[in-house]
Amino acid sequence: MNYLSSHPLRVAALAAGHVELVVTALAAALVLAVPLGLIAARRPGVAPWLLGTLGAIYTIPSLALLAVLVRGFGLGFTPIFVALVVYAQFMLTRNIVAGITGVDSAQVDAARGLGMSPLQVLVRVEFPQALPIVIGGVRIAAIAMISIATLGGYVGGVGLGVLIFNGLTLHQPQMILAGSLAASALAIAVDALLRLAERRAATL
Amino acid sequence: MRISRARALALLGATPLFAGCAFDGSAVRVGSKNFTESFVIAEIYAQALEGAGLRVERLFNLGSTQIAIAAMERGNIDCYPEYTGTALIDVLHLAPISDPRAAYAVVSRRFEQRYGIVWLNPSPMNDSQALATTRAIAESKRLATLTDVAGAAQHLRLATIQEFLARPDGLPGLQRFYGGFHFADVRTYDIALKYTALLDGNADISSAFTTDGEVASDDLMILRDDRHFWSAYNIAPIVRQAALAARPQIARILNAVSPAITDRAAQTMNAAVEKGQQDPADVAAAFLKRLRPSG
Amino acid sequence: MTKEMKAGAIRFERATVRYPGSDRNAIEDVCFECGGGELVVLLGPSGCGKSTLLRTVNRLVPLDSGRILLDGDDITKRDPVELRRGIGYVIQAVGLFAHMTVAQNIAVVPSLQGWGRAAIAQRVDELLRLVGLDPEVYRDRRPSRLSGGEAQRIGVARAIAARPQALLMDEPFGAVDVLVRTALQRELVRIVAELQTTTLFVTHDVDEAFRLADRIVVMRAGRVEQVAKPQELFEQPATQYVRELVHAGDDVYRRYYLHGRALLRGLEQ
Repeated sequence: MNYLSSHPLRVAALAAGHVELVVTALAAALVLAVPLGLIAARRPGVAPWLLGTLGAIYTIPSLALLAVLVRGFGLGFTPIFVALVVYAQFMLTRNIVAGITGVDSAQVDAARGLGMSPLQVLVRVEFPQALPIVIGGVRIAAIAMISIATLGGYVGGVGLGVLIFNGLTLHQPQMILAGSLAASALAIAVDALLRLAERRAATL
Repeated sequence: MRISRARALALLGATPLFAGCAFDGSAVRVGSKNFTESFVIAEIYAQALEGAGLRVERLFNLGSTQIAIAAMERGNIDCYPEYTGTALIDVLHLAPISDPRAAYAVVSRRFEQRYGIVWLNPSPMNDSQALATTRAIAESKRLATLTDVAGAAQHLRLATIQEFLARPDGLPGLQRFYGGFHFADVRTYDIALKYTALLDGNADISSAFTTDGEVASDDLMILRDDRHFWSAYNIAPIVRQAALAARPQIARILNAVSPAITDRAAQTMNAAVEKGQQDPADVAAAFLKRLRPSG
Repeated sequence: MTKEMKAGAIRFERATVRYPGSDRNAIEDVCFECGGGELVVLLGPSGCGKSTLLRTVNRLVPLDSGRILLDGDDITKRDPVELRRGIGYVIQAVGLFAHMTVAQNIAVVPSLQGWGRAAIAQRVDELLRLVGLDPEVYRDRRPSRLSGGEAQRIGVARAIAARPQALLMDEPFGAVDVLVRTALQRELVRIVAELQTTTLFVTHDVDEAFRLADRIVVMRAGRVEQVAKPQELFEQPATQYVRELVHAGDDVYRRYYLHGRALLRGLEQ
C-alpha cells in the first residue's frame, strides 16, 4: 500500500505498459487463433489434434518458454510478447471452436439454403452467435495473460512485473506488493469489463 | 445490434500503431545487474540521459555479468554500469590489478578490440570485494585483516553468493593468494540475503562489497585486505560502439555524472534503498538534483 | 396483392445421389417434372430419400449422376449461391436467426440482393400480413419470443421474400401441434395459390399430403413409386406399396376428404 500511494505515477506508467503488452499480444493472438479456430471448426478431424497440441504447449512452464524465447529474440518486449501470444492460443482457439460449432445447425442450414455465401454465413450468422463464447475465451485468455505478463519484468523491463522483480532483488516488499496488487486490480477490472461485453453479446 | 463494421476495422487498424510504439527501436536501452548498487547507478545513467532529452528503455535486473555482456553483444542493451575488476577477471580472465588507472586502461583497450564496447570515464567509487564480519565476532576472535581470517578459517562459517565461489578472485583466489581460507562451513545465499545470515548468527564471515549499504552500519566491519589481493573495482558506463556512433551525446552526458559517484555517495545511496526502502529511481533523482541544483 | 406469375418449372432427369462408402443410393434415377405454381408433395417413410431429393434442387446436396433443370437451365451451370437466392427454403426447425428481429430475418434474401431499405421495409410488412401476422406486433420481435406456429409462418415469409422461382419445404409443420398444423396447411395452400410459386413439400404424413398436394410423388428406398394426383393415387395405386400407404390408417376419412375437396375445388374454380 505504501508504495502505491507514494509512487502513483510510476505504478500507473508500468500499468499502462502492462496493458499495452497484453492488448497487443491479445490482438496478435486473435489474428492467429481465428483462422486456426475456423479450420478446426470446419474440419472435425482436425479439432482434437489441434487443441491437444495447443493444450500441451499451454502446460509448458512460462519461465522455461521465456528462457528459450530470450535466446531467440533477446531481451525486451519481444520475448514476453511472443510468449503471451503462444499461451493465449489454446484458450482462444478452444473457445472459437466451441462458439462456432455450438451455433444452431438449423440456422446454418437455413442460411446456406437461403443463399448466403460461406463467408456471409460466417459473418452474418455464425460469428454473431459465437460471439459470447468467443468473448468468454478472450476474457479467460486476458486474465491469464495479465498474470503471465508479470514475467515481462524479468526479461523485458516491461509492465508491473518490473515492480515485483525489482522488489525481490532490492528486498523491498512494498514494491512487490504494489506490483502484485496493481496486477490483480487490472485482472479484476478486465474480467468485469469483459463479462459485461459477454452479457451484451449474448442478448444481441 | 452488431458491432459496427467501421468500428471493428478501426480497432484492428490501430493495433499495429499500438504495437509500433512497443517495438520502437529509437530508445537508448540501459541495463543493470541484479543487485542494489547496479540498479541505482544504472538509474542515474538512465535519468541523466532522459534529462538530456533522450528516450530510455530500462532492462534492469539482468542475472549476471555473463548475461549482461551477452545482451550488449547482441544489441539487446546499449549500455550498463560495469566494474573494472569484474571486467578484468570475470570477462577477460586476466589477473587482478589493484591500481585503478592500470586496470581501467587494460579493460577499456581490450573491450574495444574484442567486443566493440567503449568504456566511458570511470567513477572514483571503488566497489571492491571484501570479507565482512560483525564487530562482536571481530573482537571475540581477534580478526582485523584477511590474513587473520585465512588462519582462523577452519573455525569459521562463511556466508556468500554463488558467484564468489566460482570467480577466480573469489574464494579460490583468496585460498591461492593468502593460503588457508578453508572454512568449516560454506553456505550460499541470494545476493540480497547474505548479510542476514551474518546478523542472525548463522555465519561468522560474509563475502561483501565495500560499498554495500549494510557496511555503513555500526554492527558490521570490513576486514582489511592487508596484502592487496583484490583488484580495483571502479564503476564506469560501458556503451556499445554502434549506440555511441548513433548518439554521440551519450558520452558527454554520462561522463558528466561519473566523477560524482564516490564511495561515500554509493554507500549512502545503497543504504537508502536497502535500509530506507526507497525506490532507486527516487535515490538516483535526488543524487542528480544535488549535482545540478538548477535542475 | 398482385398475383406473381412464375413459371418455376423443375425437371428431374435420372437424378441419383450415392451414399458415401455404400453401394446403396440415397436417391436413384428420379424422373419427374413439375411447375406452373404446382404444390407437389414428396411423400414417403423416413429414409426414403425425399429430403435428399429436395436438397438436390438448391444444390445443398450434389447429384452423382443425372441432372436437374430449373426453367430449362441445368442447375449445375449456375452459381449455387445465386441459385439459392432464387429458391425459397423452409426447414422443420425453421432456423430463424436468433440474433436478428423478425423483420431482419424476413429481409435476409432481399438485403443479400441489394434491395433498398424502403423496398425491404414495405416487403416485410406485406409478407407478415400475407402469413397472417400483424406487422406492428411482430416486426421487431425476437425469434425467442415466438410460438412454434408463428416461427414457421415467419420462416415461410422469409423464404418467399425475394419472390423466388420455386419453394422447397422440408417437413415444415412437423414440429407444431395439430391445431396449428392444420391452420398452417390451409394458409400454405392459399399462399401458394396466390403466388403461383412451384412448391416441393416433403412429408411422411399421408393426410398432410392429401390435404396439400396438387400431385404427390411417392418414394421408397430412393426410388419413385408413383407420381399422381391424390385422387388417382387413391383409386389407382401403381404398386402394392402405394396401395398400402394410401389406405393405411383412416382411409374412410380420406375418401370423404378427397370427395369434399374435389367439390370445393369445383366451387372455387
